Amino acid sequence: MNITIDKIEQESWKDSIIHSLDARIKLILTILIIVYTVYTTDFFVLLLLEIYVIILLLLSKISISYFVKRILMILPFGGFIAIFQPFIKEGLILYTLPFGLTVSYEGILFGTLLFSRLIVCLSAIVLLSSVTPLDSIVNSMRKLGFPKEMAMILSMTVRYLFVFFDELKNIRTSQKSRCFNIGSKKTSYSWRLKQIAYTIMMLFLKSFEKGETVYYSMLARAYNGEAISYKEESPIMKVDYGIIVLTLIIIFSSEIIRFNGFI
Amino acid sequence: MHIPDGFIPLWQCIIYYIIVIIVGYFAVKWAKENLHEKQIPLLAILAAGIFAIQVLNIPTPLGASGHMVGAALVAILLGSPFAGFLVLAVVLIIQGLVFGDGGITALGINIFNMGVLGSSIGFYSFKGLKSIIKDIPAVFIGSFLSLLIPALIIAIELWVAGRFPLKEGLFLMSTYHIIIGLVVEGLISTIVYTSLKKIRPDLLSGVVNNG
Repeated sequence: MNITIDKIEQESWKDSIIHSLDARIKLILTILIIVYTVYTTDFFVLLLLEIYVIILLLLSKISISYFVKRILMILPFGGFIAIFQPFIKEGLILYTLPFGLTVSYEGILFGTLLFSRLIVCLSAIVLLSSVTPLDSIVNSMRKLGFPKEMAMILSMTVRYLFVFFDELKNIRTSQKSRCFNIGSKKTSYSWRLKQIAYTIMMLFLKSFEKGETVYYSMLARAYNGEAISYKEESPIMKVDYGIIVLTLIIIFSSEIIRFNGFI
Repeated sequence: MHIPDGFIPLWQCIIYYIIVIIVGYFAVKWAKENLHEKQIPLLAILAAGIFAIQVLNIPTPLGASGHMVGAALVAILLGSPFAGFLVLAVVLIIQGLVFGDGGITALGINIFNMGVLGSSIGFYSFKGLKSIIKDIPAVFIGSFLSLLIPALIIAIELWVAGRFPLKEGLFLMSTYHIIIGLVVEGLISTIVYTSLKKIRPDLLSGVVNNG
């Protein structure tokens, strides 16, 4: 179940109506969905949002199994806290387990709420990163007014991310070809740990050295510390506005319905 | 260690965001004033390196496995907690937006825990201990604390958010992170530091100048 960064990037270069939306719009859309998800406490609203994300996903032609795999990959930590809720929340006791553990009704409700929120948020993020290439996410952040210096650091990081994943892969392949295995008990633990530390040290060193080289080559091209870089102009189309309006309608109407107590 | 979206109430997320934005303002100001402009590309590429380093999952003798955060090490090597903050902030933004590791509303709290607390605890404990004991044990203790203390603070934050009881949270977070902190963050940072000192002592200029 190991999905590499290359695979994520490949998916984001596919062609569909969702892929062709402006990156700024997709970013705003994701933030809207997530903020509303964190705000709401209503299961119906969460279900509605999840259905909406899944419809967008189907329109984007991303394979469902890839989508589910990616969500499963990042679920554990949050899922852990959610699963614990029935045991730690006080309330109407439904079951009593050995060791003084109790399962409460409020706890189950709250745990399910946290879990559903987590699923909707992760779905939104996975959708965003599956339909938008990394560098256009970062560029759109700058266009939306992210501080210049941070935006420059971000866009350079994104460019070199792939270089370092390749470096890591190379180091690991060469270690593997010499029969190195982190989990193997045939060599002492301290020796194995040292090898890992050397791998990390090499990555560190390589990033330092790469940083120097890149700086000198930037200097040779008249870089003076000012972060000016090429911004691709892309007008926002009607369909872009359309999808934002649609999302806002969904959010506001579900909020109004909830407020009036229909659900 | 990444808190996902939906676990911290929105109003608390905003507080963490405000803290991070204030620290971010000073960090960018620091980068402009104290660093040769060289460090801006360096920080960016270091962030890419740290990103790759965080992918490496390292088993510990007791079964649990974890990855390095690297905040303390960057802060120590570049001679300022702001450097650690900037690098970690970039890494966490990308992790949150692309991998869903962490989240968008929880981005503030995650940068606060690892970027602000991790790098400043690591850096200042290294700085304080360096004069008392030698630099190598200081790196070990600094990077160990840079993982353990934020982990305990996460337990407190989850308690404040009403998501996990304090006592159990502190117990679970400390037992797990003492092991990861000692073996992964502590030992590995120390080995990286010692070997970098041997191979490229010039890179450790930050330690000499500011440390």
